Amino acid sequence: MRWDITEKALHSEFLRTVEQRSGENVSSCYQCGKCSGGCPVVADIELTPNRIIRMVQLGLEGNVLRSETVWCCAACGTCNGRCPIGIDIVHIMDVLREMALERRVVPPPGAAEVLMFYRSFLDCVKEFGRLNEIALMGSYNINSWHLFCNVMKAPWFIFKSKITIAPHKIKQIDRLKRAFERIEELERKK
Amino acid sequence: MKYGYFPGCSLLSTATEYARSGEGVLNLLGIEVEEIDDWVCCGATAAHATNHLLAVALPAISCSASEKQGLDVLTYCTACYSRLKQSNQVLKDSPELLQQINEIIEEEYRASERVLHIAEVLARDIGLEAIKAKVKKPLKGLKVACYYGCLIARLPEKLRIDSGECPTMIDDLMRAVGAEPLDWPFKTECCGAGLTLARQDVVVRLSGEIIEIAKENGADVLAVACPLCQANLDMYQANAEGKTGKQLGLPVLYFTQLMALAMGLGPEMLKLEKVIVDPMPVLVEKGLIDRGVYL
Repeated sequence: MRWDITEKALHSEFLRTVEQRSGENVSSCYQCGKCSGGCPVVADIELTPNRIIRMVQLGLEGNVLRSETVWCCAACGTCNGRCPIGIDIVHIMDVLREMALERRVVPPPGAAEVLMFYRSFLDCVKEFGRLNEIALMGSYNINSWHLFCNVMKAPWFIFKSKITIAPHKIKQIDRLKRAFERIEELERKK
Repeated sequence: MKYGYFPGCSLLSTATEYARSGEGVLNLLGIEVEEIDDWVCCGATAAHATNHLLAVALPAISCSASEKQGLDVLTYCTACYSRLKQSNQVLKDSPELLQQINEIIEEEYRASERVLHIAEVLARDIGLEAIKAKVKKPLKGLKVACYYGCLIARLPEKLRIDSGECPTMIDDLMRAVGAEPLDWPFKTECCGAGLTLARQDVVVRLSGEIIEIAKENGADVLAVACPLCQANLDMYQANAEGKTGKQLGLPVLYFTQLMALAMGLGPEMLKLEKVIVDPMPVLVEKGLIDRGVYL
Protein backbone atom coordinates (compact mmCIF):
# COMPACT_ATOMS: atom_id res chain seq x y z
CA MET A 1 0.00 0.00 0.00
CA ARG A 2 1.22 3.49 -0.79
CA TRP A 3 0.36 6.86 0.63
CA ASP A 4 1.64 10.24 -0.37
CA ILE A 5 3.07 11.98 2.64
CA THR A 6 2.79 15.64 1.88
CA GLU A 7 4.34 18.64 3.54
CA LYS A 8 0.80 19.82 4.24
CA ALA A 9 -0.17 16.60 6.03
CA LEU A 10 3.01 16.59 8.09
CA HIS A 11 2.27 20.08 9.36
CA SER A 12 -1.46 19.56 9.81
CA GLU A 13 -3.24 19.75 13.13
CA PHE A 14 -4.28 16.09 13.03
CA LEU A 15 -1.55 14.64 15.25
CA ARG A 16 -1.88 17.44 17.79
CA THR A 17 -5.67 17.13 17.89
CA VAL A 18 -5.51 13.36 18.49
CA GLU A 19 -2.90 13.85 21.23
CA GLN A 20 -4.87 16.60 22.88
CA ARG A 21 -8.21 14.80 22.84
CA SER A 22 -6.81 11.46 23.97
CA GLY A 23 -4.21 12.80 26.38
CA GLU A 24 -1.82 10.22 24.89
CA ASN A 25 1.65 10.87 23.59
CA VAL A 26 1.21 9.43 20.10
CA SER A 27 4.51 10.94 18.94
CA SER A 28 6.46 8.72 21.34
CA CYS A 29 5.52 5.48 19.49
CA TYR A 30 8.69 3.95 17.99
CA GLN A 31 6.94 1.21 16.00
CA CYS A 32 7.93 -1.90 17.94
CA GLY A 33 4.75 -3.52 16.62
CA LYS A 34 3.75 -5.37 19.81
CA CYS A 35 0.24 -3.90 19.59
CA SER A 36 -0.30 -5.54 16.22
CA GLY A 37 1.41 -8.76 17.31
CA GLY A 38 -1.35 -9.30 19.87
CA CYS A 39 -4.28 -7.72 18.05
CA PRO A 40 -7.04 -10.33 17.55
CA VAL A 41 -8.55 -8.70 14.46
CA VAL A 42 -5.39 -8.12 12.37
CA ALA A 43 -6.31 -11.04 10.14
CA ASP A 44 -9.52 -9.24 9.17
CA ILE A 45 -8.29 -5.70 8.61
CA GLU A 46 -6.04 -3.95 6.15
CA LEU A 47 -4.26 -1.54 8.47
CA THR A 48 -2.70 -2.87 11.68
CA PRO A 49 -2.81 -0.75 14.86
CA ASN A 50 0.87 0.24 14.67
CA ARG A 51 0.30 1.45 11.10
CA ILE A 52 -2.64 3.54 12.23
CA ILE A 53 -0.45 5.14 14.90
CA ARG A 54 2.30 5.86 12.35
CA MET A 55 -0.25 7.36 9.98
CA VAL A 56 -1.52 9.62 12.76
CA GLN A 57 2.07 10.76 13.31
CA LEU A 58 2.35 11.54 9.60
CA GLY A 59 -0.90 13.49 9.51
CA LEU A 60 -2.73 11.13 7.13
CA GLU A 61 -6.11 12.13 8.49
CA GLY A 62 -8.36 11.03 5.63
CA ASN A 63 -6.77 7.59 5.30
CA VAL A 64 -6.99 6.97 9.04
CA LEU A 65 -10.58 8.13 9.52
CA ARG A 66 -11.76 6.20 6.45
CA SER A 67 -10.09 2.95 7.53
CA GLU A 68 -11.92 -0.20 8.52
CA THR A 69 -9.53 -0.64 11.42
CA VAL A 70 -10.92 2.09 13.64
CA TRP A 71 -14.36 0.48 13.47
CA CYS A 72 -13.30 -3.16 13.65
CA CYS A 73 -11.22 -2.67 16.78
CA ALA A 74 -12.98 -4.86 19.37
CA ALA A 75 -11.57 -2.70 22.21
CA CYS A 76 -10.12 -5.81 23.85
CA GLY A 77 -7.08 -3.84 25.09
CA THR A 78 -4.37 -6.39 24.28
CA CYS A 79 -2.43 -3.59 22.58
CA ASN A 80 -2.64 -1.42 25.70
CA GLY A 81 -1.41 -4.23 27.91
CA ARG A 82 1.60 -4.87 25.69
CA CYS A 83 2.67 -1.37 24.66
CA PRO A 84 6.13 -0.89 26.22
CA ILE A 85 5.59 2.83 26.67
CA GLY A 86 2.05 2.55 27.93
CA ILE A 87 0.11 4.27 25.16
CA ASP A 88 -3.65 3.77 25.59
CA ILE A 89 -4.35 2.69 22.01
CA VAL A 90 -7.99 1.76 22.73
CA HIS A 91 -8.58 5.33 23.83
CA ILE A 92 -6.91 6.64 20.66
CA MET A 93 -9.25 4.42 18.60
CA ASP A 94 -12.22 5.89 20.54
CA VAL A 95 -11.01 9.40 19.69
CA LEU A 96 -10.51 8.50 16.02
CA ARG A 97 -14.05 7.09 15.78
CA GLU A 98 -15.45 10.22 17.40
CA MET A 99 -13.52 12.38 14.94
CA ALA A 100 -14.75 10.28 12.02
CA LEU A 101 -18.34 10.79 13.19
CA GLU A 102 -17.90 14.53 13.72
CA ARG A 103 -16.37 14.95 10.26
CA ARG A 104 -19.17 12.79 8.81
CA VAL A 105 -16.74 10.35 7.24
CA VAL A 106 -18.65 7.51 5.60
CA PRO A 107 -17.44 4.23 7.11
CA PRO A 108 -16.01 1.71 4.61
CA PRO A 109 -17.78 -1.61 3.86
CA GLY A 110 -17.37 -3.99 6.77
CA ALA A 111 -17.36 -1.09 9.20
CA ALA A 112 -20.74 0.50 8.48
CA GLU A 113 -22.50 -2.42 10.18
CA VAL A 114 -20.44 -1.92 13.32
CA LEU A 115 -21.52 1.70 13.56
CA MET A 116 -25.11 0.67 12.85
CA PHE A 117 -24.96 -1.84 15.68
CA TYR A 118 -23.63 0.75 18.13
CA ARG A 119 -26.37 3.18 17.10
CA SER A 120 -29.12 0.58 17.49
CA PHE A 121 -27.69 -0.30 20.91
CA LEU A 122 -27.66 3.29 22.14
CA ASP A 123 -31.13 4.03 20.70
CA CYS A 124 -32.45 1.17 22.81
CA VAL A 125 -30.70 2.46 25.95
CA LYS A 126 -32.10 5.95 25.33
CA GLU A 127 -35.61 4.54 24.99
CA PHE A 128 -35.64 2.15 27.96
CA GLY A 129 -32.56 2.94 30.08
CA ARG A 130 -31.58 -0.69 29.66
CA LEU A 131 -30.79 -2.91 26.74
CA ASN A 132 -33.37 -5.32 25.48
CA GLU A 133 -31.65 -7.88 23.31
CA ILE A 134 -34.71 -8.60 21.18
CA ALA A 135 -35.28 -4.91 20.47
CA LEU A 136 -31.59 -4.55 19.68
CA MET A 137 -31.47 -7.46 17.26
CA GLY A 138 -34.67 -6.33 15.56
CA SER A 139 -33.61 -2.76 15.11
CA TYR A 140 -30.10 -3.76 14.01
CA ASN A 141 -31.44 -6.20 11.44
CA ILE A 142 -33.79 -3.59 10.04
CA ASN A 143 -31.31 -0.71 10.04
CA SER A 144 -28.55 -2.77 8.46
CA TRP A 145 -30.85 -4.62 6.02
CA HIS A 146 -29.43 -7.87 7.40
CA LEU A 147 -32.96 -9.00 7.99
CA PHE A 148 -32.09 -12.61 8.66
CA CYS A 149 -28.97 -12.08 10.75
CA ASN A 150 -28.98 -14.74 13.48
CA VAL A 151 -32.49 -15.87 12.56
CA MET A 152 -31.13 -19.42 12.55
CA LYS A 153 -30.28 -18.95 16.21
CA ALA A 154 -33.83 -17.87 17.09
CA PRO A 155 -35.04 -21.32 18.25
CA TRP A 156 -32.20 -21.40 20.77
CA PHE A 157 -33.08 -18.00 22.08
CA ILE A 158 -36.66 -19.06 22.60
CA PHE A 159 -36.23 -22.62 23.84
CA LYS A 160 -33.32 -21.75 26.08
CA SER A 161 -35.37 -18.81 27.40
CA LYS A 162 -32.47 -16.54 26.75
CA ILE A 163 -34.59 -13.53 26.07
CA THR A 164 -37.29 -11.63 27.83
CA ILE A 165 -39.92 -10.15 25.58
CA ALA A 166 -41.02 -7.34 27.88
CA PRO A 167 -38.44 -4.58 27.91
CA HIS A 168 -37.25 -3.36 31.29
CA LYS A 169 -37.77 0.37 31.54
CA ILE A 170 -36.14 2.44 34.26
CA LYS A 171 -38.19 4.81 36.45
CA GLN A 172 -36.22 7.97 35.72
CA ILE A 173 -36.30 7.56 31.95
CA ASP A 174 -37.07 11.26 31.40
CA ARG A 175 -33.91 12.33 33.19
CA LEU A 176 -31.92 9.87 31.09
CA LYS A 177 -33.43 11.19 27.87
CA ARG A 178 -32.49 14.72 28.89
CA ALA A 179 -28.94 13.52 29.56
CA PHE A 180 -28.77 12.01 26.06
CA GLU A 181 -30.15 15.23 24.57
CA ARG A 182 -27.62 17.40 26.41
CA ILE A 183 -24.79 15.25 25.08
CA GLU A 184 -26.22 15.35 21.55
CA GLU A 185 -26.46 19.14 21.84
CA LEU A 186 -22.78 19.36 22.88
CA GLU A 187 -21.84 17.20 19.90
CA ARG A 188 -23.70 19.45 17.49
CA LYS A 189 -21.77 22.48 18.76
CA LYS A 190 -18.42 20.87 17.91
CA MET B 1 -21.01 -7.90 54.17
CA LYS B 2 -23.47 -6.12 51.91
CA TYR B 3 -23.05 -4.88 48.34
CA GLY B 4 -24.92 -2.70 45.84
CA TYR B 5 -25.89 -5.13 43.11
CA PHE B 6 -25.59 -3.91 39.52
CA PRO B 7 -27.10 -6.75 37.42
CA GLY B 8 -26.50 -5.22 33.99
CA CYS B 9 -28.83 -5.86 31.05
CA SER B 10 -27.61 -9.35 30.07
CA LEU B 11 -28.29 -10.80 33.50
CA LEU B 12 -31.98 -10.04 33.01
CA SER B 13 -32.19 -12.03 29.77
CA THR B 14 -29.42 -14.00 28.07
CA ALA B 15 -27.51 -14.63 31.30
CA THR B 16 -30.11 -15.39 33.96
CA GLU B 17 -28.13 -18.53 34.81
CA TYR B 18 -25.19 -16.31 35.81
CA ALA B 19 -27.50 -14.22 38.00
CA ARG B 20 -29.18 -17.19 39.69
CA SER B 21 -26.05 -19.23 40.33
CA GLY B 22 -24.13 -16.19 41.59
CA GLU B 23 -26.99 -15.24 43.85
CA GLY B 24 -27.10 -18.78 45.23
CA VAL B 25 -23.38 -18.88 45.95
CA LEU B 26 -23.35 -15.44 47.62
CA ASN B 27 -26.37 -16.41 49.74
CA LEU B 28 -24.69 -19.57 50.96
CA LEU B 29 -21.66 -17.56 51.95
CA GLY B 30 -23.76 -15.12 53.95
CA ILE B 31 -23.39 -12.17 51.61
CA GLU B 32 -26.24 -9.71 51.32
CA VAL B 33 -26.94 -7.75 48.16
CA GLU B 34 -29.29 -4.87 47.50
CA GLU B 35 -30.07 -3.93 43.90
CA ILE B 36 -28.87 -0.45 42.93
CA ASP B 37 -31.92 1.74 42.70
CA ASP B 38 -32.99 2.43 39.10
CA TRP B 39 -29.63 1.43 37.63
CA VAL B 40 -28.94 2.26 33.99
CA CYS B 41 -27.17 0.29 31.22
CA CYS B 42 -23.39 0.92 31.31
CA GLY B 43 -23.37 1.70 27.57
CA ALA B 44 -20.72 -0.99 26.97
CA THR B 45 -18.55 -0.69 23.86
CA ALA B 46 -21.31 1.10 21.95
CA ALA B 47 -20.95 4.16 24.18
CA HIS B 48 -17.19 4.36 24.61
CA ALA B 49 -16.62 3.66 20.92
CA THR B 50 -18.74 6.57 19.80
CA ASN B 51 -19.10 9.18 22.55
CA HIS B 52 -16.81 9.72 25.53
CA LEU B 53 -19.34 11.79 27.52
CA LEU B 54 -22.02 9.13 27.21
CA ALA B 55 -19.46 6.47 28.15
CA VAL B 56 -18.89 8.23 31.47
CA ALA B 57 -22.40 9.60 32.09
CA LEU B 58 -24.23 6.25 31.89
CA PRO B 59 -22.09 4.44 34.51
CA ALA B 60 -22.02 7.61 36.64
CA ILE B 61 -25.79 7.44 37.21
CA SER B 62 -25.57 3.91 38.65
CA CYS B 63 -22.38 4.39 40.69
CA SER B 64 -23.79 7.52 42.25
CA ALA B 65 -27.04 5.72 43.12
CA SER B 66 -25.10 2.94 44.81
CA GLU B 67 -23.08 5.42 46.85
CA LYS B 68 -26.33 7.02 48.00
CA GLN B 69 -27.37 3.59 49.26
CA GLY B 70 -24.01 3.50 51.08
CA LEU B 71 -22.86 0.38 49.24
CA ASP B 72 -19.90 -0.76 47.15
CA VAL B 73 -20.85 -1.72 43.60
CA LEU B 74 -20.98 -5.45 42.79
CA THR B 75 -21.05 -6.43 39.10
CA TYR B 76 -21.16 -9.80 37.31
CA CYS B 77 -20.72 -8.84 33.67
CA THR B 78 -17.10 -7.92 32.94
CA ALA B 79 -18.12 -5.20 30.48
CA CYS B 80 -20.25 -3.47 33.11
CA TYR B 81 -17.42 -3.96 35.59
CA SER B 82 -14.85 -2.41 33.28
CA ARG B 83 -17.06 0.55 32.31
CA LEU B 84 -18.26 1.34 35.84
CA LYS B 85 -14.80 1.05 37.35
CA GLN B 86 -13.07 3.16 34.71
CA SER B 87 -15.73 5.83 34.60
CA ASN B 88 -15.74 6.09 38.41
CA GLN B 89 -11.96 6.55 38.38
CA VAL B 90 -11.96 9.11 35.57
CA LEU B 91 -14.46 11.22 37.52
CA LYS B 92 -12.26 11.05 40.62
CA ASP B 93 -9.27 12.20 38.56
CA SER B 94 -10.81 14.95 36.44
CA PRO B 95 -12.68 17.82 38.14
CA GLU B 96 -13.54 19.45 34.80
CA LEU B 97 -15.19 16.34 33.43
CA LEU B 98 -16.93 15.84 36.78
CA GLN B 99 -18.54 19.26 36.51
CA GLN B 100 -19.72 18.55 32.98
CA ILE B 101 -21.15 15.15 34.00
CA ASN B 102 -22.94 16.69 37.00
CA GLU B 103 -24.78 18.97 34.61
CA ILE B 104 -25.60 16.15 32.25
CA ILE B 105 -26.95 13.75 34.89
CA GLU B 106 -28.64 16.50 36.94
CA GLU B 107 -27.00 15.63 40.24
CA GLU B 108 -23.77 15.96 42.20
CA TYR B 109 -21.87 12.81 41.34
CA ARG B 110 -20.96 10.75 44.36
CA ALA B 111 -18.04 8.51 43.54
CA SER B 112 -18.23 4.86 44.55
CA GLU B 113 -15.74 3.73 47.13
CA ARG B 114 -15.16 0.45 45.31
CA VAL B 115 -16.44 -1.16 42.10
CA LEU B 116 -16.07 -4.93 42.36
CA HIS B 117 -16.45 -7.99 40.17
CA ILE B 118 -18.12 -11.05 41.69
CA ALA B 119 -14.95 -13.14 41.20
CA GLU B 120 -13.02 -10.57 43.20
CA VAL B 121 -15.65 -10.53 45.96
CA LEU B 122 -15.54 -14.32 46.19
CA ALA B 123 -11.76 -14.75 45.98
CA ARG B 124 -10.67 -11.71 48.00
CA ASP B 125 -13.45 -10.34 50.22
CA ILE B 126 -14.84 -13.74 51.21
CA GLY B 127 -11.70 -15.79 50.69
CA LEU B 128 -10.92 -19.29 49.49
CA GLU B 129 -11.02 -20.93 52.93
CA ALA B 130 -14.62 -19.84 53.56
CA ILE B 131 -15.54 -21.17 50.10
CA LYS B 132 -13.83 -24.54 50.69
CA ALA B 133 -15.83 -24.87 53.92
CA LYS B 134 -19.10 -24.71 51.95
CA VAL B 135 -18.22 -27.32 49.33
CA LYS B 136 -20.48 -30.38 49.53
CA LYS B 137 -19.61 -32.12 46.28
CA PRO B 138 -16.06 -31.35 45.14
CA LEU B 139 -15.77 -31.21 41.34
CA LYS B 140 -13.21 -33.98 41.41
CA GLY B 141 -11.62 -34.85 38.09
CA LEU B 142 -13.28 -32.02 36.19
CA LYS B 143 -10.73 -30.28 33.98
CA VAL B 144 -11.73 -26.63 33.71
CA ALA B 145 -10.20 -24.14 31.29
CA CYS B 146 -10.77 -20.77 32.98
CA TYR B 147 -11.41 -18.07 30.43
CA TYR B 148 -11.17 -14.48 31.65
CA GLY B 149 -11.63 -12.64 28.37
CA CYS B 150 -10.34 -9.15 27.90
CA LEU B 151 -12.14 -6.88 30.23
CA ILE B 152 -11.04 -8.08 33.67
CA ALA B 153 -7.47 -8.58 32.53
CA ARG B 154 -6.89 -5.39 30.58
CA LEU B 155 -8.02 -2.59 32.81
CA PRO B 156 -5.52 0.26 33.10
CA GLU B 157 -2.69 -0.91 35.34
CA LYS B 158 -3.68 0.95 38.49
CA LEU B 159 -7.21 -0.49 38.39
CA ARG B 160 -6.19 -4.05 37.58
CA ILE B 161 -7.00 -6.76 40.13
CA ASP B 162 -5.12 -9.65 38.55
CA SER B 163 -2.34 -10.29 36.03
CA GLY B 164 -3.04 -8.83 32.59
CA GLU B 165 -1.59 -11.80 30.68
CA CYS B 166 -2.10 -14.73 33.03
CA PRO B 167 -4.81 -14.07 35.61
CA THR B 168 -5.42 -16.77 38.25
CA MET B 169 -8.35 -15.57 40.34
CA ILE B 170 -10.99 -17.84 38.77
CA ASP B 171 -8.48 -20.73 38.68
CA ASP B 172 -8.14 -20.31 42.47
CA LEU B 173 -11.91 -20.41 42.86
CA MET B 174 -12.15 -23.55 40.73
CA ARG B 175 -9.41 -25.23 42.75
CA ALA B 176 -11.23 -24.26 45.95
CA VAL B 177 -14.32 -26.17 44.80
CA GLY B 178 -12.26 -29.22 43.92
CA ALA B 179 -11.97 -28.86 40.14
CA GLU B 180 -8.75 -29.05 38.19
CA PRO B 181 -7.98 -25.71 36.50
CA LEU B 182 -5.83 -26.08 33.41
CA ASP B 183 -2.67 -24.22 32.55
CA TRP B 184 -3.57 -23.12 29.03
CA PRO B 185 -2.55 -20.20 26.80
CA PHE B 186 -5.84 -18.59 25.69
CA LYS B 187 -7.12 -17.31 29.05
CA THR B 188 -7.26 -13.71 27.90
CA GLU B 189 -7.63 -13.99 24.12
CA CYS B 190 -10.50 -11.93 22.72
CA CYS B 191 -13.72 -13.73 21.67
CA GLY B 192 -14.72 -10.90 19.31
CA ALA B 193 -17.00 -9.30 21.88
CA GLY B 194 -19.32 -6.57 20.62
CA LEU B 195 -18.64 -7.38 16.97
CA THR B 196 -21.01 -10.31 17.48
CA LEU B 197 -23.77 -9.18 15.09
CA ALA B 198 -21.95 -6.73 12.84
CA ARG B 199 -18.85 -8.84 12.10
CA GLN B 200 -19.89 -12.39 12.72
CA ASP B 201 -17.02 -13.63 10.53
CA VAL B 202 -14.49 -12.22 12.99
CA VAL B 203 -16.33 -13.54 16.06
CA VAL B 204 -16.72 -17.07 14.66
CA ARG B 205 -13.00 -17.25 13.89
CA LEU B 206 -11.86 -15.91 17.28
CA SER B 207 -14.33 -17.88 19.40
CA GLY B 208 -13.65 -21.05 17.42
CA GLU B 209 -9.92 -20.75 18.07
CA ILE B 210 -10.44 -20.36 21.81
CA ILE B 211 -12.64 -23.48 22.00
CA GLU B 212 -10.18 -25.43 19.85
CA ILE B 213 -7.17 -24.57 22.04
CA ALA B 214 -9.14 -25.35 25.22
CA LYS B 215 -10.03 -28.77 23.81
CA GLU B 216 -6.46 -29.45 22.72
CA ASN B 217 -5.39 -28.76 26.28
CA GLY B 218 -7.81 -31.37 27.58
CA ALA B 219 -10.64 -29.19 28.90
CA ASP B 220 -13.92 -30.82 29.94
CA VAL B 221 -15.63 -27.43 30.26
CA LEU B 222 -14.81 -23.78 29.81
CA ALA B 223 -15.52 -21.46 32.78
CA VAL B 224 -16.34 -17.86 31.88
CA ALA B 225 -17.15 -14.63 33.70
CA CYS B 226 -18.80 -12.52 31.00
CA PRO B 227 -22.26 -12.91 29.37
CA LEU B 228 -21.05 -11.81 25.95
CA CYS B 229 -18.09 -14.22 26.02
CA GLN B 230 -20.49 -16.98 27.05
CA ALA B 231 -22.88 -16.20 24.21
CA ASN B 232 -20.14 -15.95 21.56
CA LEU B 233 -18.24 -19.03 22.69
CA ASP B 234 -21.35 -21.18 23.18
CA MET B 235 -23.50 -20.06 20.26
CA TYR B 236 -20.98 -20.01 17.43
CA GLN B 237 -19.36 -23.41 17.92
CA ALA B 238 -21.46 -24.93 15.15
CA ASN B 239 -20.51 -22.09 12.78
CA ALA B 240 -16.83 -22.55 13.62
CA GLU B 241 -17.11 -26.28 13.03
CA GLY B 242 -18.61 -25.56 9.62
CA LYS B 243 -15.70 -23.31 8.73
CA THR B 244 -12.76 -25.35 9.98
CA GLY B 245 -14.20 -28.87 9.79
CA LYS B 246 -12.88 -29.56 13.28
CA GLN B 247 -15.22 -31.03 15.84
CA LEU B 248 -15.71 -28.74 18.82
CA GLY B 249 -18.62 -29.19 21.26
CA LEU B 250 -17.20 -27.87 24.52
CA PRO B 251 -19.71 -26.76 27.19
CA VAL B 252 -19.26 -23.12 28.21
CA LEU B 253 -20.45 -22.45 31.77
CA TYR B 254 -20.27 -19.51 34.12
CA PHE B 255 -17.75 -20.12 36.89
CA THR B 256 -20.57 -19.42 39.36
CA GLN B 257 -22.57 -22.35 37.94
CA LEU B 258 -19.66 -24.67 38.69
CA MET B 259 -19.30 -23.23 42.20
CA ALA B 260 -23.03 -23.62 42.78
CA LEU B 261 -22.84 -27.24 41.61
CA ALA B 262 -20.03 -27.97 44.07
CA MET B 263 -21.95 -26.29 46.87
CA GLY B 264 -24.92 -28.58 46.27
CA LEU B 265 -27.38 -26.05 44.88
CA GLY B 266 -30.32 -27.39 42.87
CA PRO B 267 -31.22 -27.22 39.16
CA GLU B 268 -33.30 -24.06 39.59
CA MET B 269 -30.18 -22.20 40.74
CA LEU B 270 -27.81 -23.85 38.24
CA LYS B 271 -30.01 -23.47 35.16
CA LEU B 272 -27.74 -25.76 33.15
CA GLU B 273 -30.49 -26.20 30.56
CA LYS B 274 -29.86 -22.68 29.26
CA VAL B 275 -26.45 -23.54 27.89
CA ILE B 276 -26.49 -24.45 24.19
CA VAL B 277 -23.66 -27.02 24.09
CA ASP B 278 -25.12 -29.53 26.55
CA PRO B 279 -22.94 -29.87 29.67
CA MET B 280 -24.93 -32.87 31.01
CA PRO B 281 -22.96 -35.68 29.33
CA VAL B 282 -19.62 -34.62 30.75
CA LEU B 283 -21.02 -33.77 34.20
CA VAL B 284 -22.83 -37.13 34.39
CA GLU B 285 -19.73 -38.96 33.18
CA LYS B 286 -17.66 -37.36 35.93
CA GLY B 287 -20.30 -38.36 38.47
CA LEU B 288 -21.06 -34.75 39.37
CA ILE B 289 -24.72 -34.74 38.44
CA ASP B 290 -27.52 -37.19 38.89
CA ARG B 291 -29.30 -37.04 35.56
CA GLY B 292 -32.56 -38.06 37.26
CA VAL B 293 -32.69 -34.76 39.09
CA TYR B 294 -32.77 -32.91 35.80
CA LEU B 295 -35.32 -34.99 33.91
